Amino acid sequence: MKSEYNSIGKNIQRRDIVEKLTGQANFCADIALKDALSLKVLRSSRHHAVIDKIDVSDALKIPGVVNVFTAADIPGKNLMGIINKDQPLLAHDKVRSLADPVALVAAQTDEIARQAIKVINVTYTDLEPIFDIEAALAPGAPKIHKKGNTLFTRRIKKGDAGTAFETCHTIIEKKYMTHAVEHNYIEPDAGAGYVDEDGTLVIYASTQNPHYDHKEVQGFLGLKDDQVRIIQAATGGGFGSKLDLNVQGFIGLALYHLKQPVRYVYTREESYLATAKRHPFTIHMKTGADKNGKLKAIHIRAYCNTGAYGSYGIAVASRSAVHGTGPYEIDHVDIECACIYTNQPFCGAMRGFGAPQMAFAHESQMDLLAKKLGMDPMEIRMLNGFKKGSINGTGQQLIDSVGYPECLEKIMPYYEEALTNWVTEKTTPFTKRGIGIGGMWYGIGNTGVQNPSTARIELDQNGRVILYTGCADIGQGSSTILTQVAGEVLGIAPEAIQLVVGDTKFTTNAGATSASRQTYISGNAVKDAAEQLARVLLTEGANKLKVSKTALSFGDHSLQIAGHPERSVAFDWLAKRIHEKGVSLSWQGYFDPETIPLDLETGQGSPYATYAFACHLALVEVDVLTGQVSVKKIVAAHDVGRAIHPENVIGQICGGVAMGVGFALMEAFEFGKTLSMKDYHIPTCADMPEVIPIIVESVEPTGPFGAKGVGEPALIPTAPAILNAVSHALGKRLYSLPADLESVLQASIDSGHFGPEEKM
Amino acid sequence: MTFEINGQEHTLDIPADITALEVIRSLLGLTGTKEGCGIGECGACTIVVDGKSVNSCLMLGAQLDGTKVLTVEGLATEASLAPLQEQFMKNHGVQCGFCTPGILMSTHALLEENPDPDTEEISKALAGNLCRCTGYQQIFASVKAAATASRDDRITGGKNG
Ligand code: FES
Ligand code: FES
Repeated sequence: MKSEYNSIGKNIQRRDIVEKLTGQANFCADIALKDALSLKVLRSSRHHAVIDKIDVSDALKIPGVVNVFTAADIPGKNLMGIINKDQPLLAHDKVRSLADPVALVAAQTDEIARQAIKVINVTYTDLEPIFDIEAALAPGAPKIHKKGNTLFTRRIKKGDAGTAFETCHTIIEKKYMTHAVEHNYIEPDAGAGYVDEDGTLVIYASTQNPHYDHKEVQGFLGLKDDQVRIIQAATGGGFGSKLDLNVQGFIGLALYHLKQPVRYVYTREESYLATAKRHPFTIHMKTGADKNGKLKAIHIRAYCNTGAYGSYGIAVASRSAVHGTGPYEIDHVDIECACIYTNQPFCGAMRGFGAPQMAFAHESQMDLLAKKLGMDPMEIRMLNGFKKGSINGTGQQLIDSVGYPECLEKIMPYYEEALTNWVTEKTTPFTKRGIGIGGMWYGIGNTGVQNPSTARIELDQNGRVILYTGCADIGQGSSTILTQVAGEVLGIAPEAIQLVVGDTKFTTNAGATSASRQTYISGNAVKDAAEQLARVLLTEGANKLKVSKTALSFGDHSLQIAGHPERSVAFDWLAKRIHEKGVSLSWQGYFDPETIPLDLETGQGSPYATYAFACHLALVEVDVLTGQVSVKKIVAAHDVGRAIHPENVIGQICGGVAMGVGFALMEAFEFGKTLSMKDYHIPTCADMPEVIPIIVESVEPTGPFGAKGVGEPALIPTAPAILNAVSHALGKRLYSLPADLESVLQASIDSGHFGPEEKM
Repeated sequence: MTFEINGQEHTLDIPADITALEVIRSLLGLTGTKEGCGIGECGACTIVVDGKSVNSCLMLGAQLDGTKVLTVEGLATEASLAPLQEQFMKNHGVQCGFCTPGILMSTHALLEENPDPDTEEISKALAGNLCRCTGYQQIFASVKAAATASRDDRITGGKNG
């Protein structure tokens, strides 16, 4: 069947692919600036302490040390944070974790900078440190921030859960725990910068949000808008952690004082210590159903440990609370998720913003309920899953593009086949096979807040189209997709569009590359800009060709009378004519998804304009003698609205599954113990199962050509599916992530290796 | 010390304690080779030395003396990408691209030695190369496609010759 589109749905060549394949792509550490100084931060040696004195005199005596900066050298506001500003660039009165930066050295070489930080003398008065949630919430606990240790609580209240539980036939109540996780992008954080001839501080950043970086650096330094320029360099992955300012602020501060090129490349060890982690969660979840398995009520009390600073913690608490019900309709909802400060290094955004942690809990509950009710795990999900017209926990009705039932249907044949043939196949006596299902929903964009994107499209006098976008492509492929959207509107090949990406001198704010929002939100902003330019072209085309605008269609850099390609007028001619008439050839696009803020007490509102849905099936083998879990296959069905670039969608799904395998089975960041890559294991190719990606296109009417998003959804159902499969294999459930060798072996022992009964 | 890199001979005086990775990136300015960990765990720094893939962060610069080195910059010609690079492009084996140079080097060394590897053999060759973006599936597809393409070439070549 011929597609109705020219660009949408085509696996066109990735924009930056040749540079990346030939080693020419410039990541921050590759940028050569003449005579660039090396920067290095001294971090706190205390978990929680008042800083009495910082003595840098010995460091300054080392030949090759150019200067050492402390909080006193910051001319503007020494606080950062995209949601709440609580994190100093350099600690001033106290330190709240071992990651806190205390002083910044600029030196001629990395080695000299390293020596210099060793001889900076900081005098501290220790305060009592707090590491876990219980201690942070205990009465009389020392306050980590002036406002207290609870940063934020999101409440979602609908109906009357208390009363509803009394009428439930079956109730499951469990506690779930998840661990801190490191993003572990392969490019350690880095940046570089110089001061240009106009005195502008130019900073190359490995970032997910160049326009936010710009605002923060300006704020630290008390500079005007045009005195700071952020350029996103090639960025080697982010997964949420490059939403925070990692080195950009330090580079800005050094440039401000030294007016000399500088660079800062984190070692892997510093990247581990100093950047955000995924929030560890404790989740108490109680779910009730009637005798037919229809969900009636849910009660959740969840706590996430954000460490010393908020970063994206508020968004994590908020999103995880909204997503606590899972993709299921439940009339009575009582959810609270609190984000708590402790003296661990800070946690922030990581692919899924708390939804992966919550999904582990709600999907375990679904299987437990099914088992107790004598139902099949697919059946209970089919019965309760969101469909068109369902109302979620925030009271929002889901009207269009609700592809959860279709995802389940796509999984069904694989599920039945695995259940009847694969699980029952004879294996070695010590291998147990199991299969598991994980479902999820995911709101596209930020939770209940306005989060617009902008873009600009320009036609030059030669008829070339140039797209300006502040949207950071961090490897997921947004640049390619945005040109497909613009190309579709203007009838030109996406490859012919020139691109300017993530350079605050030329681009306008597209918001963060996070929350799986760029395809939907920036895609719409680009579409808006392209449509405005198209309107102007159509007007002038109609003037020239003397037909109505509706009779015109776009051809290759031209407008033509539909069906008569010989009667056409080229873009360059139109550009000159439009310009002569004093009409702009440069158009700004804008899109802000329709949301209604959540009520602070009840959490009622419309947090997102649209949702993605997915279901994964996991096939696992457990070695009952070693606790080794081997994931054999993941079937992953994803409702993405419309796949603008199907191979990119598949890439996101496969990459998400890999991260999900890590989250499920091996990744645990231990503060103070995980120091280098030797101590932290992410999946290698040998750990990966076969992945069967299935794209479900439940078209979203408000999306650009129907698209929603897939970046985070890709990861969310994997761990729940694997954990449900392990539990199926062993007849024993694990309530804590990761399900590492030790805990699986313990479960295997507890179940008597082959115990047929699940002990609830 | 004298060695050949991407077909060019270099004679350098280097400090005794620097790694091959530093020689390549800092002294020669070939920044296609990446540093992801510095301790032999990630494979981003993989280069091919005398036909074998090695982690250049673990190799002393002095050990390069007398060797023939290939880095990612040496794969393509002025005119075109190497067939392996072509296949990574066609099969979407690249996302952020930070692991890519190392992965290309490991698989290039594999295909030179074994032009027709099975999944297991590719897996072995890539065991030391971490990728956080792709989940490896499209990387495997790229390598397999490169092997198939070269086999088809050999077959056609055989027929014609
Ligand atoms: S940088 Fe050499 S293995 Fe990681
Ligand atoms: S493509 Fe990003 S690490 Fe492999």
